[in-house]
Amino acid sequence: MRFVSFRPATSVLATVALLLIANAPSQAQTRAETLRYVTGASVNTLDPNIPGSTRESFALSMSTYDRLVAFGRKQLNGKWVFDLDTITGELAESYDVSPNGLKLTFRLRKDAKFQDGSPVTAEDVKWSLDRCVTAPILGKAQLLTGSLTSADQFKVIDPLTIEVTLPKPDKLALPNLATVYPMIINSKVAKEHATADDPWATAWLKEHTAGSGAYVVETFKPGEQVILKRDEAWNRGSANKPAFFKRVIVQSVPEPATRANLVERGDADIVVDLQASDVQSLEAKGKLKVISTPQYNAITFVSMNNQIPPFDNVNVRRAIAFALPYDDMFKAALFGRGAPLFGATWPDGKPANGIYPFQAPVKTDLDKAREYLKAAGLPEGFATTFSFNVGQASTAEPMASLVKESLAKIGIKVDIQKLPDAQMSTQINEKKLPFFTEGIVAWLPSTDYFYRNFYTGNQRWNYSSINNPEIAAIAQEARFEPDKAKYEEDGRKLNAIHFSEMPQIPLWQPNQDAVMASSIEGYTYEFHRQVDYRDVSRK
Amino acid sequence: MTGLGATMVRAGRRLLSSLPALFGVLVFTFLLMRVLPGDPAVFFASGPNAGKEEIEQIRKQMGLNRPVPEQLVFYLSDIGHGNLGRSMMTGQPVLKDLRERLPASLELTFTALLIALIAAVPLGVVAALRPGSVVDHGVRLFCALGVCVPTFVSGLLLIYVFYYLLGLAPDPTGRIDVFTSLPPQRTGFLSIDFLLAGDFEGWWAACKQLVLPAVSMALFVIAPLARITRASMLVSLGSDFVRTARSVGLSWRKVVVTYALRNAILPVITIAGIVFSTMLGANVLVEKVFSWPGVASYALDALLSSDYAPVQGFVLLMASLFVLVNLVVDVCYGIADPRVSIE
Repeated sequence: MRFVSFRPATSVLATVALLLIANAPSQAQTRAETLRYVTGASVNTLDPNIPGSTRESFALSMSTYDRLVAFGRKQLNGKWVFDLDTITGELAESYDVSPNGLKLTFRLRKDAKFQDGSPVTAEDVKWSLDRCVTAPILGKAQLLTGSLTSADQFKVIDPLTIEVTLPKPDKLALPNLATVYPMIINSKVAKEHATADDPWATAWLKEHTAGSGAYVVETFKPGEQVILKRDEAWNRGSANKPAFFKRVIVQSVPEPATRANLVERGDADIVVDLQASDVQSLEAKGKLKVISTPQYNAITFVSMNNQIPPFDNVNVRRAIAFALPYDDMFKAALFGRGAPLFGATWPDGKPANGIYPFQAPVKTDLDKAREYLKAAGLPEGFATTFSFNVGQASTAEPMASLVKESLAKIGIKVDIQKLPDAQMSTQINEKKLPFFTEGIVAWLPSTDYFYRNFYTGNQRWNYSSINNPEIAAIAQEARFEPDKAKYEEDGRKLNAIHFSEMPQIPLWQPNQDAVMASSIEGYTYEFHRQVDYRDVSRK
Repeated sequence: MTGLGATMVRAGRRLLSSLPALFGVLVFTFLLMRVLPGDPAVFFASGPNAGKEEIEQIRKQMGLNRPVPEQLVFYLSDIGHGNLGRSMMTGQPVLKDLRERLPASLELTFTALLIALIAAVPLGVVAALRPGSVVDHGVRLFCALGVCVPTFVSGLLLIYVFYYLLGLAPDPTGRIDVFTSLPPQRTGFLSIDFLLAGDFEGWWAACKQLVLPAVSMALFVIAPLARITRASMLVSLGSDFVRTARSVGLSWRKVVVTYALRNAILPVITIAGIVFSTMLGANVLVEKVFSWPGVASYALDALLSSDYAPVQGFVLLMASLFVLVNLVVDVCYGIADPRVSIE
């Protein structure tokens, strides 16, 4: 029985020896030219159009593919954020919008090349946009919001010019072309891999890239990591030079505490999905750069199903709105890291502006809440369930307990229900949850877009299941309203209805806390809420 | 040689008789996944604009638009062709995912089990030799601590101390430092592949990554192994043959190691087999904490998003491994104690 000899001693020695060897310093030079980005999520496809693709896949595609146009950036309270109103050319050298707003003409850069060296032509652009509106992929639903629905709308004028026609002057047509989905694909390469069943090469593009983006995919391990190499010829950045980092490593690290350790030790350069408590302690230590931007295109809210009793009664919804413990929730769930959407004062009782999301004049006022309950004919209160999904537990769990405690004071008995993510989305889709918390995000955060998508129709994103013809009509009208003052007026009307009907209660816009090494510069909060690797550089 | 041949035949028979159980597991998991609430199609169609159309499309893609019995028939025929379906999460065939991830889990589990055995057996023997002594109590305390502290806590603690505070360990992100290039894949076990490729620097890097997760897993299973070693050593030391061996003046080493331990090792092997199977499935927390790309964390992610194919594939894999491990344990019995046959 040899295996019980002196192995323990040797194994202990070996363990100690293993631990004593520090990391090899040989990669030190390339390290500065490499961006290591760690994330709790993962990239699951190289084509963001594939149903089921993750947010990390969206961010990756921004660097591996170019679009016709891109969003500019602006400073909001001293932090860089994407700017919906400044649209600059990416593959397009310049673009024109016809005076009636029905024709968009894009002139392509003459020097733009795909990663295989072939030039980017108007044919490629047409094929890519056709794919986006024709193939059964995610881009279809997105482009629909910009009145881009059919391949007939895209016309090749000459090899470097493409024209897009619109049925109506839709303000969102141009911004839509800057979103993730309408990326420009090398159509010659893609067509080689198309099959009769799959004419748009979706299967092949899921695992391969054929773009003109700033980075070339070097290795792709779904669910683990992606390594990108800089395309030296790429010049679509702001200063006509390639992206800063030679290599980008996108790595999945599921444990948030480990991500915090990595960035603090300097092994990772940037991370955007840490727990609020970790961000706070890292910020206090002051070694790292922490850029907190309220996610101004995202909202967390408490929703009530307006079709299920007792929430079909507007006074019950108002009672809830005045019984929520806003300040405590804001502190317990977010550590105050975000922009509150409660506690406003409307001196004349009217919305301050026509922008959604708006800060509402609600605050914790239990007497008022009791009055509303009485008005609803439920002075004794009622019992209900409050649901949230496991994925959001770190913020939603403390929130739920506070909701329960506070509502108990006005006689409403709340059972907390924690649901696995897939179950939660199923129940929301089937409109079965009476009372729950969720978050929404819009890539193109305009008032009418929010109201059309999240407050109308019998569809999944209408969380509160509100059916108010007035909202639907005004939002639809505002969509094509060219006059800014009138648009603003429509927005005010919508916000006023929202406040009086109280279909759901917007709570706050959580911060995107980007924690990075102090040498990292240029971080910008993007519409897809991930890091755009092209933005950042090292001092 | 006939002994070995007979063992093989018996092993083959055992394998055949486990097929119905595997089939049962297959059908059961299949039905269970469909009974669970939560529609994967709705979950995966969660892009900012995904509507009814997208949900229907994913449902079709996953084959969920067909009635359940039909799905089952398709599934079984797919399995017959060696196709475990496609994961929505990673977008890859489940078989490919499992093939890539299983070696990671196995390497970790084997290392952890080895560390645990190397620590536990001597601890158990020492405790049994001096029952009631300070040493015995020390071992008991150590074991209790090991069991009390959940693996993810010990994992996080080890990371905190060895990586964060001391900076001795490499960053706890997976099997290999991101800057090291991988060896050509032969076995999938990095520590073996690096050796085969003759890349000792890489081998060293892979081993360093392995130490912390393996130790935090081992800590948890040392207790059962050490306790069972102690108990069965006590029985064995008190038996007639040990008394006889002592009385005829055999050396201490011969008495304890050759006679007592060899007789006491059977239950340890049994427990080691069980511990191994449990570890393989239950090391999900360690895998999460150390970003280890193993099968258990893969299955957990799949379960949370109701991704049917990977969960089913994982359960099937685990069931097959369990059958294999049991078989290996039985064969080990025969080696440790020739009187035992696995009939």
